[in-house]
Amino acid sequence: MRKTWWVLAFFALALALAQALSLDLRPYLVKAVEGKEVYEENPLAVKPGDVLEWRLAAENRSQGTLRQVALVIPIPKETYYLEGSAKALALNGSTIRPEFSFDGGKTFGFPPLKKRVRVVENGKEVEKEVEVKPEEYTHARWVIPEMAKGARVQVSLRTVVR
Amino acid sequence: MKIVQKALLLILALAVGLALAAGTPAGTAITNQASASYIDSAGQPRTTQSNLVTTIVQQVYNFTITPDGTESAPGQIRNALPGGQVLFNYVVTNTGNGTDTINLTTVQGTSDNFDLLNPKIYLDANCNGNVDAGEAQVTSVTLAADQSVCVVVAAQIPTTAMNGQYGNLNLVGTSAGNNSVTDNNNWARAVATTAAALTGFKAASPSGTVQPGDTITYTISGSNTGGSPAYGIPVTVDGNPKTGILIEDVIPNGLTVTTMPTGSAGAGTVRFVYHNGSAWQTLTSGMLPITGDGTKKIGMLIEGTGAFFPQGAQYTFSFRAQVPSNASAGDSYANTAVVRFDANGDGDADDPGETVTTNTTTNTVAATYQPVVGYPGTVTLGNETQVVATAYAGQTVSFTNVVRNDGNAPDSFNLSLQNSTFPTGTVCAIYASDGTTPLSGPVGPLAPGATQNVVVKCQLPASYFESPADGNTTTYQVELWATSVNDPSKSDLTTNQVVDILPGYAVDLAARGFAGDNDPNNDNPPMQAANPGQTVYFPLEVYNAGQNPDVYNLTATLPMGWSVVFYPDDDCDGTPDGAPITSTALLNPGQKQCFVAAVSVPAGAAPGANPVSFTATSTTLGSVSDTVSTTVNVNTVAQVLLDPDRFGTVTSPGTITYTHTLINNSNAPAYCDISGSGGAYSWTYQYSTDGTNWYGGLADVYVAPNGGTATIYVRVQVPGGEPVGRTDVNTVTANCVVNGVPATDTATETTTIVGGELRLEKSVDKSTAYPGDTLTYTITAENIGTGDLTKVIVSDPIPAHTTFVSVSATISGFPAGATVLYSTDGTTWSPTAPSSVPTGGVVYVAVDTDGDNTITDADVMPPAAKITITLRVRVQ
Repeated sequence: MRKTWWVLAFFALALALAQALSLDLRPYLVKAVEGKEVYEENPLAVKPGDVLEWRLAAENRSQGTLRQVALVIPIPKETYYLEGSAKALALNGSTIRPEFSFDGGKTFGFPPLKKRVRVVENGKEVEKEVEVKPEEYTHARWVIPEMAKGARVQVSLRTVVR
Repeated sequence: MKIVQKALLLILALAVGLALAAGTPAGTAITNQASASYIDSAGQPRTTQSNLVTTIVQQVYNFTITPDGTESAPGQIRNALPGGQVLFNYVVTNTGNGTDTINLTTVQGTSDNFDLLNPKIYLDANCNGNVDAGEAQVTSVTLAADQSVCVVVAAQIPTTAMNGQYGNLNLVGTSAGNNSVTDNNNWARAVATTAAALTGFKAASPSGTVQPGDTITYTISGSNTGGSPAYGIPVTVDGNPKTGILIEDVIPNGLTVTTMPTGSAGAGTVRFVYHNGSAWQTLTSGMLPITGDGTKKIGMLIEGTGAFFPQGAQYTFSFRAQVPSNASAGDSYANTAVVRFDANGDGDADDPGETVTTNTTTNTVAATYQPVVGYPGTVTLGNETQVVATAYAGQTVSFTNVVRNDGNAPDSFNLSLQNSTFPTGTVCAIYASDGTTPLSGPVGPLAPGATQNVVVKCQLPASYFESPADGNTTTYQVELWATSVNDPSKSDLTTNQVVDILPGYAVDLAARGFAGDNDPNNDNPPMQAANPGQTVYFPLEVYNAGQNPDVYNLTATLPMGWSVVFYPDDDCDGTPDGAPITSTALLNPGQKQCFVAAVSVPAGAAPGANPVSFTATSTTLGSVSDTVSTTVNVNTVAQVLLDPDRFGTVTSPGTITYTHTLINNSNAPAYCDISGSGGAYSWTYQYSTDGTNWYGGLADVYVAPNGGTATIYVRVQVPGGEPVGRTDVNTVTANCVVNGVPATDTATETTTIVGGELRLEKSVDKSTAYPGDTLTYTITAENIGTGDLTKVIVSDPIPAHTTFVSVSATISGFPAGATVLYSTDGTTWSPTAPSSVPTGGVVYVAVDTDGDNTITDADVMPPAAKITITLRVRVQ
């Protein structure tokens, strides 16, 4: 009995959470046909070199305003980020620039990202700060300060199949 | 033979195939799931995830055959005698993202002088450019993604070919997976020559994959397969002009030549030479080592003058070069040698066929994998021990460990904890460097040389500790192992050790204000006194003397029948605050909590000292508890009651016996002396506890405590001659001692002399009554004479301050047919009892024996007949 109760409680919680902010992620295969871009939604198969556009639609289905909404699109490791494809989001007159992570989503920052690496120079191991290439990005995110009840936003980025 | 070919292919696949990322492997699923974090309208941080989407990577077919060449500009040119064999060298590489079979065919040229005879394709397993014994003829090669193989196309120049004539041949490849993918620009040319023609083959040993630090032996060999002896070319060595056939090789960038080359030639004199980028010089061992930089060359000059290198003469030149020990996986060393000679004696190597380029050998550095684990400051391959001197039971001991990739390729490492000697019940787990995120799956990928911190946390059980600590006699450790994901045979370990595990839980319970002061002598609360039925309050204090937060259960040991309730005492003033508790709040180490133990002494508890004790017990570790002891002194409560007062009538002479009940409401036995005042008329009053044995007074009558009773009989003997209507009052007194405390009560017997022989007695059921209580009076009228009495009417007034409730009567000893009659005025009678009588009014009861429904002199009361009247009134 108790177990059932817990399970029910869990589902109730999960449902409540799922409903507050709904997320819908869709991949589109970007093809050039006669100089125009056409999109194939939810492509079942792609090939190395293909460009995938990931569109994430978020909608506030709760009864109140949500704050500090951080929308995160991971960049699958079989693909790499196509530089410049994540656009800033214009919302309520403000511009939300995408941030990127190269450490699996632990930390985010605005490009150019820097990382410290150890290299051997003149036989000595030294630590150097180098710029992180867009190909090394692992996640992109947009942090929306406030999403009113019913508000809907869409963010997207493109990756290239390795 | 087929089986051998397949085996060779398999070996090749292992040897040459190194992933250089021609694409995500076919069949890989690309999955993605977006997520969001936000703060909801209630201010709660939340996270949510999107749907999961999956896309499968399809196979792309792609390959290359090199070197490229068109029919007019062939990629390779070989000279040979008419009728001689030529060998063309190719490398086939699968640049797709999945395994593919490439079908190979040869195509004869059309813009040439002759077709080559008998073209055959061989798999050049060791990539030495030659067809060696055992190397198989093939029509296709099957290659994993990124894999490449060497093939040799062998063909003969027709014997009819004239000097200078040539034939072209193309090697065409077609993907079996997608036959629209082809490579058909791989033209080569064979030139028939009667002049000298030197061949050049290059072999690398090992071929294909090498390990960092390996030595590669390059061997360039060949022979004069032309129709004439070969001439040397002028070469300046050490500033001096020399003539000879020069075999030269650019040392692959990064490789180091550390030993002198070897070599021999079928004619001429061999000299090893070195070109530092500007000029040739004779190579001596003193110049070694030499590290290739892309321009430095090593070579062999076969010195001789004139047409000194005859047909069929052979040469071989071999040198060793070492792969740097820090080479990265995938580093590739391609090498090609050039043989320069003069075929026509014009003093240069510029004519067609005079500069022979060998096949290219390619060695690729294999990935090496080696995880290393240690702790900050000490990260070595092998076991090192990180020591934590002490930890407390119940606590989590935390070790920071460092994982480093000592391989030459990115690698991930599976971490595991093994060979734990921590006490049973310890839970050890591996966390990310933040110490809070549990690690799932391997860490990495880490670049070569990169490090990552992880945290090993061991939650020690509450119940295990050393007391006293035994130093290094008993230690506790767990090994952290890191195993390469790419090469599970490579692993490393480090040890995390705790020397002593100290007790982690302790509690001090004391009287309020004295917990946690390290003084056990002041812990017990002072004793208290209480009456039975009272509650006494002991202000107490519990102190967490351990190293871990804990909750303590509160219990008490009490005499049978006693009870305790614990109350919080948040302001520590000694009085209960709030609802009862059975345990403390969660107390951090060093934290105190006040509470009050309310001990209820049961009603009737015997006087005396009663030991009580209180215990606080850890809810984490039941063996940890503290107890304080004190005493509750139960007071003596002394109260006896002697009831009721009695009224009676007696003739003179006559005797009447009254009873009183002596009640002991004390909490201890009462020992009572009974004595009487004796009245005013010297009547004889005697006392008895059994109604049989009579005394002038009673001593030490025992009455049990808590409501125990004893019956006291009082007998009045009235002498003759007392006047009718005389009333005497005897006051009887019980002088009791209860546990040394005196208690007294009195009762009276009021005796009235009656003339007749009718005795009246009246009693009431309560000695004290409260408003609303019902009092029941019992009036007994008895003919104690020997003759009939007539017209007996018993009257009873309703007492002041009471309200009539009911009246009833029973009779005995009357003749058959006698009826009880009631009246409220003494004249009109009814067999029905009155339902109301005004206060101050009178109830009359009589017995009708002649059946006339009224009371007259004809109504008789025989001797020993008795009327018992019960009158109930309510106190106003």
